[in-house]
Amino acid sequence: MADKRASEILKGARGEAARAKSSADLEQVRVKYLGRQGILTQFLRSLSSIPVAERPEVGREANLAKAEIETLLGERLAELKAAERRHALESQRVDLTLPGRRPSPGTLHPLTLVQDEIIEIFLGLGFAVAEGPEVESDFYNFEALNIPRDHPARDMQDTFYLSEDVLLRTHTSPMQIRIMKAMRPPLRYIFPGRVYRRDIADASHSPVFHQVEGLAVDRNISMGDLKGTLELFAREMFGPRTTTRFRPSFFPFTEPSAEVDVRCFLCGGEGCRVCKQSGWLEILGSGMVHPQVLRNVGYDPEEVTGWAFGMGVERIAMLKYGIDDIRLFFENDLRFLTQFA
Amino acid sequence: MKVSYRWLKESVATDLSPKAVADRLTNAGIEVAAAAPLVSGLSGVVVGEVEAIDKHGVCRVATADRHFTVVCGAPNVAVGVRAAFAPPGAALPGGQQVQTTRKRGVLSEGMLCSEKELGIGDDADGILLLAADAPLGSDLVTSLGLDDWILEVEVTPNRPDCLSVVGVAREIAALTGAPFRFPAIAVKEGDADIVALAAVEVEDPDLCPRYAARLITGLTVAPSPPWLAQRLRAVGLRPINNLVDVTNYVLWELGHPLHAFDSDTLAQRKVIVRRARPGERLTTLDGQERELAESMLLITDPERAIALAGVMGGANTEVTAETTSVLLESAYFNPASIRRTSKRLGLATEAAYRFERGADIEGLREALDRAAQLMADLGGGTVAKGVLDVYPSPRPHPRIPLRLERIQRVIGICPPREEVVRILQGLGFAVDEAKEPPDIVVPSFRRDVSMEDDLAEEVIRVWGYERIPSTLPGGSLALVRRPAALRRAARVTQALAAAGLSEVITYGFVDPERLRLLGWDPASPELMTLRNPLSQERSILRPSLVPGLLEVVATNRHRQIPDVRCFEVGRVFRSGGPDGLAREEARVGIALTGLRASRAWYAGRDTVDLHDAKGAAEHVLASLGVEEYGVRASASSFLEAGRSGELVVGGEAVGWFGELALGPQEGYDLAGPVFLAELSLDRLGALPPRRVRYRALPRFPAVQRDVAFVMPQALAVEEVESEIRQRGGALLKSVTLFDVYAGKGVESGMRSVAWSLTFQADDRTLTDEEVNALHAAIIEAVTKRFGIAVRGMTPEGG
Repeated sequence: MADKRASEILKGARGEAARAKSSADLEQVRVKYLGRQGILTQFLRSLSSIPVAERPEVGREANLAKAEIETLLGERLAELKAAERRHALESQRVDLTLPGRRPSPGTLHPLTLVQDEIIEIFLGLGFAVAEGPEVESDFYNFEALNIPRDHPARDMQDTFYLSEDVLLRTHTSPMQIRIMKAMRPPLRYIFPGRVYRRDIADASHSPVFHQVEGLAVDRNISMGDLKGTLELFAREMFGPRTTTRFRPSFFPFTEPSAEVDVRCFLCGGEGCRVCKQSGWLEILGSGMVHPQVLRNVGYDPEEVTGWAFGMGVERIAMLKYGIDDIRLFFENDLRFLTQFA
Repeated sequence: MKVSYRWLKESVATDLSPKAVADRLTNAGIEVAAAAPLVSGLSGVVVGEVEAIDKHGVCRVATADRHFTVVCGAPNVAVGVRAAFAPPGAALPGGQQVQTTRKRGVLSEGMLCSEKELGIGDDADGILLLAADAPLGSDLVTSLGLDDWILEVEVTPNRPDCLSVVGVAREIAALTGAPFRFPAIAVKEGDADIVALAAVEVEDPDLCPRYAARLITGLTVAPSPPWLAQRLRAVGLRPINNLVDVTNYVLWELGHPLHAFDSDTLAQRKVIVRRARPGERLTTLDGQERELAESMLLITDPERAIALAGVMGGANTEVTAETTSVLLESAYFNPASIRRTSKRLGLATEAAYRFERGADIEGLREALDRAAQLMADLGGGTVAKGVLDVYPSPRPHPRIPLRLERIQRVIGICPPREEVVRILQGLGFAVDEAKEPPDIVVPSFRRDVSMEDDLAEEVIRVWGYERIPSTLPGGSLALVRRPAALRRAARVTQALAAAGLSEVITYGFVDPERLRLLGWDPASPELMTLRNPLSQERSILRPSLVPGLLEVVATNRHRQIPDVRCFEVGRVFRSGGPDGLAREEARVGIALTGLRASRAWYAGRDTVDLHDAKGAAEHVLASLGVEEYGVRASASSFLEAGRSGELVVGGEAVGWFGELALGPQEGYDLAGPVFLAELSLDRLGALPPRRVRYRALPRFPAVQRDVAFVMPQALAVEEVESEIRQRGGALLKSVTLFDVYAGKGVESGMRSVAWSLTFQADDRTLTDEEVNALHAAIIEAVTKRFGIAVRGMTPEGG
């Protein structure tokens, strides 16, 4: 007659495990059967007291029962835990529409964003970057750039003076002179920085604004290279479909000189309020470095040629973001500043 | 400058539309800012005649083939006059459609119009009366010659020749190939010789290289004829009388400023051109008495000053209604001298504008002849025989050899030789092809052209910039990257923005009153003050970023934005830099006020405090790799005492942080406390660069112990912490201050400060006994040294 005890223990354990309502209940079941004093543990311990002949058979069944109990407890535990987790989640329902816990980074000024983009493009074209003083001498700001005293070209740039000969630079062009004096060609540079004009602030004028100046001097560098470079810049800045126009103009320190316009993005060239009906938006001034300027820094205009350009960062930013009042950049209303990040 | 299209067409036979002309000019560097019809919105208005008026002011108006009943109350309406009549269906400017309306009980079929209603003038007092022979029923716009376009030309300072109808016409001719016609000028001279009637003497030929004059006698001053008045009005000039209008007409047509003296008012009918004498005065045409400087050039007679040369005439010799003879001046003055005089007196006139840009030293004779003849024609006078023309050293025409290879080299392309020659000749240059390379002779009206590259520009701008090929420069590779200062600024900017601060950019001009509020002496020679500020409030270059940041805080507060966490990276200025320039220093400034975090359901309602400012400053240091720094108490004129500290690296102060003092806080009208910090990026950049070296990761477990001391408020945590570190030695790997508490359970004047200490050895696992002994030793050292007690000890971990 076979010993039925193992299978009865197993049956009991199975029933109790099934009835356990929680993982804590189940733990009690585990202790009752498999714990130190557990039913099955004691049964296994008692095996030594049964007849030797029956021992292998009973022992085998007991061990099988133990393994089976362990398995069913494990499975039941997984079931109960899943149910308990489900229950816990249900009882602590989450409102998925509640705003997320966001990190709150600050913002970069739109002028910084645009200036960085301009610098990035010209770095990619092999232009080095340099900065110069904002308080400048009359010599670097005007004289060396072919703008003598008592010349009407000075009207183009109303100037803040600190003394007879010291002023707030009206453009970044003095850096052309400083770099050309300090280095020898070939040169390829851009000069970002603040500039100042004695203009009363209104929607399109600001006593302070930012420019990025460019300069390239080499043995054989032509106006064609200037045109190609600036067209590439305009497409990179305003999109690959940007159309540009080179238009003759006048700057005392370039000859020939050119203004660069881009086709109005707003009206596509039809004429609108933004482009003042012209279909074009002026973005920068440029030209071949005037031979006299080259001579002023000790270069021989028969040996080297060069070109330069200068653009207003505010102007580019206004076009890029559709901003219609330059004063917004300097008011620093947080509701404005947080729009560009 | 406004230029009439019809007027232009007298000098250039172009078929192009006004818009096309404008585009062509703009593309050649003569920018046309706007091109618009002279009158707009006016149609259907015709010449009508008032045939009858009844006693109620009801008129019968006739056109070519119809009669209309029109109610009109204008004072100048009369039977028989011809006037501007808008029948029903006509359109007036402003979108008004003329209709039959009931007026005073009568059906009024259309209206008789004033200048103002027609949009062609300012006169609204009566209806516009027309010439008696104006054809009945004809279109008003055509019959008045108002079917014109006005081009608004913006001439760059180098092209004074284009400040004239003829100059612009010459450009159009060169650009389009249309024939150019200079006005035919012939003077019918009388018998009397000018030499016997008047004299000119130039004492200062350096400032007046040429002075020419004619005398016109027997004149009668009268209103200008309609064609002349209309032409001036079209370009925005106000007609005055026939003599004055002629000088303005010629100014516009030929671009040369003239001046008419009433020659009967001239002592001895003699003109002397000389510099002003000490203390000399002149009342100019605008009625202002002006004190003259000795550098200023005057037109005088033997007794007194009669005009400010090239700038404005004098009241004493002005043409009046009684004038019968005129001495007409056409001269060339030194541009820089005119500019200095005009600037110094604040007297900007059309004449000065042109002379300072450079007039045409040869063309002045044509202008003189043109005006003299017109005056004689319109004023019924006679031009005396001959010209007084003082021109001691005629200016030679520059000759410039032009190499086509130079054009090719500078521009990247060159038109064919015959094209180059054609373009230059069209612009008025003579080409001497006998020379190789050809010599280009510059006309007297192109003072801006003085070298080969100027000619290259002339050629290429007419030929078309659009034909320049787009290429990219070649050349050798060079290493390019942002310079260190820009990289530093970028790193700090990125770090602060990532930490929740908004970048701002301010003007950088400071109000001396605000500086005083912040405790600076605005008169300090260290500060840099503008000589010509836009206003007092913006007259000093910022010595610190603080004033600008406080303005930002104030601006936002006034716009109901109370929470501001912002920073600016920029330069500050002090006097005493190299070559007389400024000492410029790149700094970062930080201002914090209001809530620490934007309002949100999960965010606390804590407001920022001093430690936020210090933390932001530390964040800047960390972003530049500076981990070792000290803080020392500092005194500042605008920070609260005891609430500001200086940040010291390597013994040098690199910045500060603190709480804005109450005075300036109230002065700026700020709602709550503001916490500030400012660091010098230049000083930080001058520090030896940090070398980053890898440290091996620990191989043995760490043991953590916490300890809290109850210590006096006045005892600095740094002192205690350094004692802990010192006693802890090499096995004490880190010390973190994690709690500060004062209040219930802690004696007043005291606070509880808790540190977490981490012990670890590089070569073995520490035993509990070792750690406990070391921990106890630290506590003993601290309690003994500072006489303070341990609040509690919670062993943890292990």
